[in-house]
Amino acid sequence: MTQSLDRYHRQILLPCFGEEGQRKLLGSTALILGCGALGTMNASMLARAGVGRLIIIDRDFIELTNLQRQILFNEADVANAIPKAAAAKEKLSGINSDIEIISVVDDINHANLERYCGLTEGSEYPRVDVIVDGVDNFETRYLANDVAVKHGIPYIYGGAVGTFGAQYAILPHTEKGDAPWEKLPGATPCLRCIFEQMPPPGLTPTCDTVGVLGPVVSIIANLEVVETIKVLLGNFAAVRPTMLNIDVWENTYRQLKIAKAYDVGDCPCCKHRKFEFIDGFFGSSTTTLCGRNAVQLTHKQGHVGTGSHSGGGGMNFDEIADRLRKHGKVTANKFMIRAELTDNGNPYELTLFTDGRAIVKGTKESNIARSIYAKYVGA
Amino acid sequence: MPDTVTVQIPTALRPQVDNQSTMNIEGATVGQVLGSIKSKYPDFGKRLYKSDDELNRFINVFVNDEDIRFLDNLNTPLKPGDEVAIVPAIAGG
Repeated sequence: MTQSLDRYHRQILLPCFGEEGQRKLLGSTALILGCGALGTMNASMLARAGVGRLIIIDRDFIELTNLQRQILFNEADVANAIPKAAAAKEKLSGINSDIEIISVVDDINHANLERYCGLTEGSEYPRVDVIVDGVDNFETRYLANDVAVKHGIPYIYGGAVGTFGAQYAILPHTEKGDAPWEKLPGATPCLRCIFEQMPPPGLTPTCDTVGVLGPVVSIIANLEVVETIKVLLGNFAAVRPTMLNIDVWENTYRQLKIAKAYDVGDCPCCKHRKFEFIDGFFGSSTTTLCGRNAVQLTHKQGHVGTGSHSGGGGMNFDEIADRLRKHGKVTANKFMIRAELTDNGNPYELTLFTDGRAIVKGTKESNIARSIYAKYVGA
Repeated sequence: MPDTVTVQIPTALRPQVDNQSTMNIEGATVGQVLGSIKSKYPDFGKRLYKSDDELNRFINVFVNDEDIRFLDNLNTPLKPGDEVAIVPAIAGG
């Protein structure tokens, strides 16, 4: 197919677009971080809009319970056990063959994200112009936030669970202060300016524990796409400076005013330029337990739970046990919770300890263990 | 004009307050209002507060959509009819 702009006619008609805008999109690279409910919608809309290059990273395989909301996938993908990133590439290639789609089946972590963003020396990936958030946990979001601030790349945050969600565009403060958005309208606070600390594992609900309404994720994902397109067109003045929080069941739509968070706060990331998630100082690390077909996850940020009456934001074991009981047999005592889970047709045994450690039995793969933990415990 | 302010309770904290989504509470400051809920529902307090007079840093509180960190934190004054929203970070996707 030729690089005709005909297929984009309806958006070229928009005053904010024009042919020039379309050519900017076609010359852009977007990283879609995670390809679940948010990521499939992000990828679908950005491919249709004609973003020239999409890099899609996801560690998971498609499950039947994904089809309720993850719009690029179908029953055959479940039956054939296709990785999400690969299935997304196949579907998107049929939607827009003019663009390049790079799919990566991998766990995103502090050792590889800069490379996937084309930011390390010798990286085989193109430098990305924007990072679009399609992930399901906070650890990866803080890592993406670090990469965005360190390298001056806009990061479009979105999150959704239950019937509510939030969306916000980070136009980061850069080291030299010379990014195009820093003149007008000005840089925006980063994710760590707003949420100063990562919620402790188990305290935030996840889609796999409390459920999620399909449309709310699509709405949040499309709000991300709108802000992504503004960024790629260079129309930074149009980027919404507020964090939009919505609950589609309770009919609440709030524009939270967070613009002062950078000036008033003392952000280690964008004010002091300490990138603790890239450095691996925070976040989780995994260890494959030799000969046990199990992986141990250790959280480096202090989240110490002390049983059912945990204070200081620690894990609430009673509540986590209740949630896990919806998915399988659970045994618990004052030291640990053990749950027998079935995920993507495979049996796993998840053990959580009061010191924040977790052991996922049934795999030697750290990405599978992290996926199980993120889904059923949260991070 | 009511004598109370409305507190919006996020879904994740509702089990700690008998599943109420909003509460109408009297109080002259954010600290008084949240303290009043905390004394009635200690488990809610444990989730919200890091110490007696400091909130956990992964939860933000807004008064009429303004973050209290940019006002006067827990001393932010309230008037009847104000809306206090407790907004946790949203992780799913």
